[in-house]
Amino acid sequence: MTALRRDRSQGWLGGVCAGIARRYGIDAALVRLAFVIATAAGGAGIALYLLGWLVIPAGDAPGRRRLPTGRGAVEVALGTGLLLLSVLLTFRALGILFSDAIVWPLVLVASGAVLIWRGSAAVRPEPAPTGVPGASANRPVEQVPAEATAAPRRTIAGVSRTGVGIALVIAAGFAFLQATGALGAARDVGLALIATVVVLGVIFAPWVLRLLRSLTEERSERIRSQERAEVAAHLHDSVLQTLALVQRSDDPQQVAALARRQERELRAWLAGRPAPGQAARLAPALEAAAADVEDNHGVPVEVVVVGDRELDPAVEAVVAAAREAMTNAAKFGGGSTVDVYAECTPAALRVFVRDRGPGFDPAAVPADRRGVRESIVGRMERHGGRARISGAPAGGTEVELVLEGER
Amino acid sequence: MRARPDIPALVAGLAVLALGGVLLLDSLDAIDLTFAVFAPVACAVAGAILVANGLSRER
Repeated sequence: MTALRRDRSQGWLGGVCAGIARRYGIDAALVRLAFVIATAAGGAGIALYLLGWLVIPAGDAPGRRRLPTGRGAVEVALGTGLLLLSVLLTFRALGILFSDAIVWPLVLVASGAVLIWRGSAAVRPEPAPTGVPGASANRPVEQVPAEATAAPRRTIAGVSRTGVGIALVIAAGFAFLQATGALGAARDVGLALIATVVVLGVIFAPWVLRLLRSLTEERSERIRSQERAEVAAHLHDSVLQTLALVQRSDDPQQVAALARRQERELRAWLAGRPAPGQAARLAPALEAAAADVEDNHGVPVEVVVVGDRELDPAVEAVVAAAREAMTNAAKFGGGSTVDVYAECTPAALRVFVRDRGPGFDPAAVPADRRGVRESIVGRMERHGGRARISGAPAGGTEVELVLEGER
Repeated sequence: MRARPDIPALVAGLAVLALGGVLLLDSLDAIDLTFAVFAPVACAVAGAILVANGLSRER
């Protein structure tokens, strides 16, 4: 078991609560709640926190911890709550508690806040997969059934936790107003507010409903259009490229091999399975794409990758866009070597694809050609990245793909 | 090899012993066990058992 250390990387002040939570494998929010409630008990929480800050040495966690879940976490949470309640009741019996009108609402508010924070963490949406419904273009989807069953459970748990949290905060408000004798005045204000909301609701309901409906339709249309673009980009990069190769090939055996490979890849994509031999990390995926382009077009592709990271839908999109850039370089680069350089840092992923061919003017590409516009630029933009193509006649071409942000 | 103690059972046993001690003192009229005294004790006992059980489950 690790020694007790303050975890400043996950902490809010000195990392005392985060350190204790990491050491004992419990939720940091629970430890923070304990300190807040102990503060209500005669200010002991502040003194204990400062003491911990002074006494416990700092030592940050190597990475982000997963929040504890399951029956054990529920038992720890309930147990800590009961222990804190016993401390508060003891302090109350001894007469060293702040006023009841402050302490109990504060306890309810703190407990509700913890539940709301945990609930919001549980229902935070995963990055939406794009492409074929149910799976991204190359996602390793042996995880999909487990995700599909776990996600709704997580969402329901998060929503119910948030609901209990909101109820606790509202109860705290009522308790405070009742204790301070302001409940009657608050009720009058609440009634006036409800009456105003009802009146305004009746007047503006048709417009609000129409606005909501149009927003929903617009969102659905945007999602449909993104999915269409993703499917079009995938078909362009796979089926259309293979058909172009088939047209150029004179060897029936090579044509049959190309057709079989394309069929396997397309069937895997339609079924939401990973393509045969698909890599799970950036560097091998780029090398595999380069090897494919070399095989298909007979042009050498040199790949240098600095750093590495796991494939997620956005990184898969970078690999697919890089593959399309390599294919373009192999087809139009005049047979020159294609250089691929990828640099992967925690802050960003950058991929450069260069050739020494005759070059071209990106603005002069006809509108019906989808290779650059959809498979490279559009694909990067759909996944939160960007692509820059610098091509000048007789100057070669460089495609830069950038995906910023830690993943 | 020495057997490791079952921490949740140990905590539960000690907590119940403490509770029994408090009840015994009350029945001997050594202390006056009112609700204001008994409630925190009962909460502490239940809380300690739950925390020990939960932490052992997390391992």
